[in-house]
Amino acid sequence: MTTYTICVFTENTIGILNKITTILTRRRINIESLTVSETERKGISRFTIVIRHESREAVEKLVRQIRKVIEVLAVFGYLNDDIAYNEIALFKVSTPIGAKPIDIETINKVYKAWVVYWHLTYVIIQKTGTEEEIFQFFDYIKPHEILEFVRSGRVAVSKSPQTLVDYLPEAEWEYYQ
Amino acid sequence: MEFNENQTQTIQVAEPVVSAIKPELINGSHALIQSLIKEGVETIFGYPGGAIMPVYDAIYDYQEEINHILVRHEQGAAHAAEGFARMTGRVGVCLVTSGPGATNLVTGIADAIIDSTPMVCVVGQVAAHLLGTDAFQETDVIGITIPITKWNYQITRADEVPEIIAKAFYIAKSGRPGPVLIDITKNAQQELMSKSFSYKKCENLISYRPRLSPKQEQVEAAAKLINEAKRPFLFFGHGVQIANAENELLKFLEKTDIPAASTLLGLSSISCDHPNYVGWLGMHGNYGTNVLTNQCDVIIAVGMRFDDRVTGDLSRYAKQARVVHIEIDPSEIDKIVKAEAPVVGDARIALEMLLPLIKENNHEAWKAEFKKYDKIEDEKITQPELAPTTEKIKMAEVIRTLSNKTKGEAVIVADVGQHQMMTARYYQFKKPNSFITSGGLGTMGYALPAAFGAKVGAPDREVVAMIGDGCFQMTIQELGTIAQSGLPVKIIILNNNFLGMVRQWQQLFHQKRYSFVELQNPDFITIGKGFGIDGHTCGAREDLNASLDKMLASDKPYLLEVLVEKEENVFPMVPTGACVADIRLE
Repeated sequence: MTTYTICVFTENTIGILNKITTILTRRRINIESLTVSETERKGISRFTIVIRHESREAVEKLVRQIRKVIEVLAVFGYLNDDIAYNEIALFKVSTPIGAKPIDIETINKVYKAWVVYWHLTYVIIQKTGTEEEIFQFFDYIKPHEILEFVRSGRVAVSKSPQTLVDYLPEAEWEYYQ
Repeated sequence: MEFNENQTQTIQVAEPVVSAIKPELINGSHALIQSLIKEGVETIFGYPGGAIMPVYDAIYDYQEEINHILVRHEQGAAHAAEGFARMTGRVGVCLVTSGPGATNLVTGIADAIIDSTPMVCVVGQVAAHLLGTDAFQETDVIGITIPITKWNYQITRADEVPEIIAKAFYIAKSGRPGPVLIDITKNAQQELMSKSFSYKKCENLISYRPRLSPKQEQVEAAAKLINEAKRPFLFFGHGVQIANAENELLKFLEKTDIPAASTLLGLSSISCDHPNYVGWLGMHGNYGTNVLTNQCDVIIAVGMRFDDRVTGDLSRYAKQARVVHIEIDPSEIDKIVKAEAPVVGDARIALEMLLPLIKENNHEAWKAEFKKYDKIEDEKITQPELAPTTEKIKMAEVIRTLSNKTKGEAVIVADVGQHQMMTARYYQFKKPNSFITSGGLGTMGYALPAAFGAKVGAPDREVVAMIGDGCFQMTIQELGTIAQSGLPVKIIILNNNFLGMVRQWQQLFHQKRYSFVELQNPDFITIGKGFGIDGHTCGAREDLNASLDKMLASDKPYLLEVLVEKEENVFPMVPTGACVADIRLE
C-alpha cells in the first residue's frame, strides 16, 4: 500500500465534497484523512485527500474521474516525496495534583510541541508534524493519561516551484489546461 | 404526483398579478420557460405535481412555443427525452415534480449518463424554507443524482434561473454529453426576479473545458501507427454519431481501406452494405469481428469505451494490438485498454485532422479474412435463423423481413434482451442515426417511451419499437402517451412468454434451472385497444409479411404482437469471462 495525497481544486459551492467522495466510495477507496479550506484565491477551495492504494494506475484513474466533476478546476496526485505536508494534533493530558509532572522542556525542545491551555488537572498540548512525529509524541506522552486526542487531516503543498504541477500522471494534465 | 393542498398553505405565494407591480419583472417559472425557449426547446416531456405547479401554470401561457407532452410515468418522460435526444442530437428535456416525481426519473438519468445522452431534467422541490424538514414530497434529489448526472444544481432563488439553465444546457450538450438535473424550489418558481429577464447562452466555464480539437502531435502519433499497420482494425462507437462524424469516417475508411466494426451503439453510423463494414463487436456480435480482434496489429477505436460486453476477458483481449484511441473524454483513455496513441478530442475533428496524414492503402487480403468467418457464421447461424424449419416464427425472420420492407431505413428502437441482440444482428441499417437502444445500462422498458421520443424528434421517419414481452410490461402505460399524441409509432412485441436472455443464461450456465423467467402475459392487443391503439397478433409464418405490411401501412400508432419460438438462443456468444477469440457459435 502506498500513500497518495490528492489535491483537488474546486469552486467553493455547496455539495462538492459529496460529489468527490461518491467517486471514491464507488471504487471502494477509503479516505484516510481529509482537509478542506479556501485557497489564496477567493471562491476556490482546496481539498487534500489522503488515501492508501496498492495500484498507482487505479489512483491515476481516480484522479481523472475526480477531474470530471464540473466544479473541479484541477486535480493532482502526489507521492509523499513530492510534497511538504503536515498535520496538527491536540492532546488533552491529565496532570492531577501529586502525579508526576510533565516535562515541559522535553516536550518543547525534543518534540517541538507546545502547551496551549493550562488547567488545574490537565493541559492541552499542540503538536504539529507528520503522522509519524505525532505518534512518536503520542507514545512519549502516553504514560501520562491521555484524556483526549485529536488529529487533523493532512495539509500539503507541492515541492515543485510551479504552483500547479502534476505528478500523476505527467501527460494527461495537458488536456485540462 | 399527487397534489397535496396542505402544502401550498405553508408557502409564501408570490404576488399573483405580476404586471400590476413592475411590468418587466417575471417570476422564476416564467423565467424558466423563457430560458428553455431561448435554448431552442420545442418539446418537453413531463408530469405535473405539487412542487412544480407554478412552472405548469407558466407553461399554460407558452403553448404556442412549447409542446408539452404528458407522459404516464416519469420514467417514461426520461426515456422519451433520451429517445428524442438520441434521434435529434439536441438536448431532451423533462419536467417533473419533487419526491417520487424526481426519483422516478432516476433510471432514465442513469441510462443517459452511461450512454452519453444530453438531457436536462427540471425537477420541482419544496420551498427553500422547508428543505431538510421532511416536508411533503421532499427528497434529496441532488444527493440521489450526484453519481448519475454530469452536473446537478439546486435553484433556490428566481434570479438564478437564466444563468443556471444556460449552464445546464451547455454542460448537457458539450464535450461528452450527459444528463443534467436542475432542482428548483417552489419559492424560486413563484417569486419575482429582482431584475428584468435577460438570457445569455453559456459558451464556456472556467472549470469545465472539453477539448474538441485534438493536439496535432497526438494526431501525428496516431497517423504514424495507422500508417505502419499491416492488419489495422477500426472500431467505431456512439461517439461517431454524437460528433456527426459519419462522413469523416467514410472518407477515412475509403482512403485507408481498413475494415471497420461497430459497437452496439455505433450501429447504423455506416451502412452495413459498405465494403469496409465487417460487422459488430462483442458478446453477441459477429464471429469474425471478435476472433480477428485478437489477430489485428493496430486497433483504431473511435468514440467507443471498450465496454466489458465488447472486450470479454480483458487479460486475453487484443494483447497483440497497438491501440489508437480517439475519444472526447480523457478519463476513458487507458481506463480499460491501454492506448499507445491517445487522441483526445471530438471524433469528427480528429478524423478530419487524421485524413491528410494517413496513407492510401489496400487491405483486400486482410478484409478477406473476415469473409471467411462470415461464411461460417452464415452457414451455422444466420441462414438457419432466417430460414427456420421450426413451427413457430423466429425473431430473426421478423427483424430481417422488417429490414427488407423498410429498406433498412427505419429508425429502430430496441428494448433490452434477446430481441435487442437479434435486432442488432438482423436489421440491416442503411442510414445513419437509425438505431436507438439502451446500451450501457440495459434498461428494460426503455424502448416504448424512447421510440415515442424519437418519433417526436423525427416525425418524418418511420420509427419502429422492437420490444420483448417482458420489457413491454415495464413501461406499458406509455401506450397512453402515444395514443394521446396520435403519432404513428409502430410497436412490435416479440413474444416468447419468457424473459428470454435470462432464460438463455439459465439454460447455458445454470443447467436449465429456469428460475422465475416464464411469464403469464396479458392479451397485449386488447390492452392496446383499451388505450385506443389498433393492433393484431401474428402467430403463423405465412402471415408475417401481411402483418408487417399492415403495421407499416398504418398512419396511426400500431401494435403488432408476434408469437415467436419460446426457447431460442442468441448466438454467436462470448460468455462472460471468456475471451473474444473463444466466441461460441452454439
